[in-house]
Amino acid sequence: MLVYSLLAGLLFGLYFSLIGLGLNLVFGVMRIVNLAHGDFLMLGAFLAFWLFTLISLNPIPAIFIVFVVFAIVGLPLYYLLVPRLLRAKDPEMLSFILFFGLSQVIEALATIAFGTSERSIPGGELGRAIVAVASLLTGHHVENGPVDIFGQTFPAAWVASGIASGIAVLLVYVYLYRTRLGYLTRAVMVHREEAIATGINVHRVSAIAFGIGLGLASVAGVFAPFMLGSITPAMGVEVTVTSFTVIVIGSLGKPLGTLLGGIIYGVSYMFMQSYYSSWANLLPYVLLVAILLVRPSGLLGRQVRRA
Amino acid sequence: MTRHAIFAGLIASVISVATTAPAADAPKEISLGTLYASSGRFASISMPVHYGLKLWIDQKNAEGGVFVKAFNKKIPLKLVAYDDQSNTATAATLYNQLITQDKVDILIADSGSVLTSVAVPIARDHKMLLINQTGTGATFFTPDNPYIVLMADPVSSVWPKPLADFITHDGPHLGIKRVAILYATNDFTGTQANAVRKFIKESNSDVDIVFDQGIPTETSSYTVLLNNIKASNPDAVIHLGYASNDIAFLRNVQDSGIKFNFVFCIYPGLETELLEKNVGSKGLNYVFTYVPSSQIAYQSQFGMSLNEYEAAWQQKYGNTNVEFGFNSVAGYTTGLVLEKALAAATSLDQLELRKAIFSLSGNLKTLDGTFALDEAGAQIGEITPLGQLIAEGDHVKFVTVWPHDVSTGKPIYPRP
Repeated sequence: MLVYSLLAGLLFGLYFSLIGLGLNLVFGVMRIVNLAHGDFLMLGAFLAFWLFTLISLNPIPAIFIVFVVFAIVGLPLYYLLVPRLLRAKDPEMLSFILFFGLSQVIEALATIAFGTSERSIPGGELGRAIVAVASLLTGHHVENGPVDIFGQTFPAAWVASGIASGIAVLLVYVYLYRTRLGYLTRAVMVHREEAIATGINVHRVSAIAFGIGLGLASVAGVFAPFMLGSITPAMGVEVTVTSFTVIVIGSLGKPLGTLLGGIIYGVSYMFMQSYYSSWANLLPYVLLVAILLVRPSGLLGRQVRRA
Repeated sequence: MTRHAIFAGLIASVISVATTAPAADAPKEISLGTLYASSGRFASISMPVHYGLKLWIDQKNAEGGVFVKAFNKKIPLKLVAYDDQSNTATAATLYNQLITQDKVDILIADSGSVLTSVAVPIARDHKMLLINQTGTGATFFTPDNPYIVLMADPVSSVWPKPLADFITHDGPHLGIKRVAILYATNDFTGTQANAVRKFIKESNSDVDIVFDQGIPTETSSYTVLLNNIKASNPDAVIHLGYASNDIAFLRNVQDSGIKFNFVFCIYPGLETELLEKNVGSKGLNYVFTYVPSSQIAYQSQFGMSLNEYEAAWQQKYGNTNVEFGFNSVAGYTTGLVLEKALAAATSLDQLELRKAIFSLSGNLKTLDGTFALDEAGAQIGEITPLGQLIAEGDHVKFVTVWPHDVSTGKPIYPRP
């Protein structure tokens, strides 16, 4: 039970790292809290659902379409909302209000468009993609079904989600630390005014980061029907709260700290489910309060200032 | 002669006033105040109930209204409905608004125990009879509270009796001796878990409960829980949750590759179409569930038959994303019972309405079966049998397995 909870927590935590990654990137670059983050995840989930329903597109290739669509949507949305917000006296606080409003609008429109009922993609679809890749790599046929890790069996969808989340974290790392745009992004994260003074096109850099943030949220949405049971237009708020907890644990403004936050959240959640299941959903709030009391800057907080 | 004429005139006037007075006092409309959840966790169980009630109201209004005995005439119905978005705090405010601002004649709760729970004390404080559609939590019904009546679902403390009876009577013969119970900790499923536990313990059968755990209603991940249940080596697994819980649970069972010999869930029976869409017929195959009124054509004493009602539903709501099922029948049943009550009540006084509804107890058959109340207003009729789902292509069919006198086939155990 202990080992299973630990491994399940790692996989679940990796998924929550992916969920929080975009939110933290946006906060790190713009110092605004996107409270509509969970709603973009929900929209990504519905796009993947409709791609599967209408043209039978497997969720794995759908990831790329969904990411590109939402990254592109993020660019004009940035220019529409964020520059005005940043001119305000307290953009951080105002961002709460503005994006909360946006969240409500998205949820209402999604409810009108998609209805209120739960929707999902068959669980075997992600497994099918894994089987195809595994068969290609090993050169022989691999059965579709649960995956064995250290003698413990997990749904293929969880493993696929864990792998995709790991790849996403890696790509964000490569983007931030191995590309020119990433250097510029980190410069804006460290000090926005100085970045402007050195001639960096801060709005361009921020708009791209905003688009990537939305794209990452939507990619997490592709896995939502498998990791969160089903999807509904109302799921966004709950997701936003949990992802906010994850990034606070890791450290607000440090995207890669999200990995640590996600894993701590995932492992803690699975242990809670095993030993104190009735209280499991209190965990995000308890962790949030505990981190804010003990280490307000998050577990990797100090390093953020030096990034 | 003149004196006689004056006396006769007076008598005629009195008779005339006596016969026309109620009609003159009759309201232009009877206002029904209710809530619904167009979004949030309970939307999928709230909207079908709301639409069912609305369909009844629209039908009655198309016929010129509903007959109200207190005024001896048909009076149109006015629906005052607000969206609580599945939020109990919002619901509490809106219930108060319906009573104090809108001053509705009849107060009808939103669907489900969670959104009904906040209405119970509010209705009681304002001495308004709460027409409780599907809030089956047993704690709502106490002998000292006359201001509540459950219309369309059996109270949770008796609802799982067919399930527990099957497990304790037929179960040991089939090989069921170890039972696992996983339930969401809300009034609806928490009460059902208590009832199952109580029935099993009181049966003095060879059945033991080897796993008994509560989880938050918001739970959407079951992988670790399934592994823990498997470790307790149960012969039967009973999962008691809302539709979203059942969807996540059954999908996780399917994806994890864990095989249980017997799985029971509530919503594959209540919202079959929704579960088919999300879990698939393969995932629902051999799952045990309640056989709801939307599957059994109970002979209703009045109103539409099940087929007529489903046709009317599809015509009106077929283009919406709200599925036809047990809850859609519940909303319509609420309307039918109200119609009968208004035809019997001598005034719109809340306790008179209660008296009229109680007078129907045991004497009324609707699409939900026999309407019967206990002294606290809890529904003890309308009991749903236990059934097993069998996949047929993309859909599932119901096989009733308990009670034996209504069974349509034998249970398949263990699950292949």
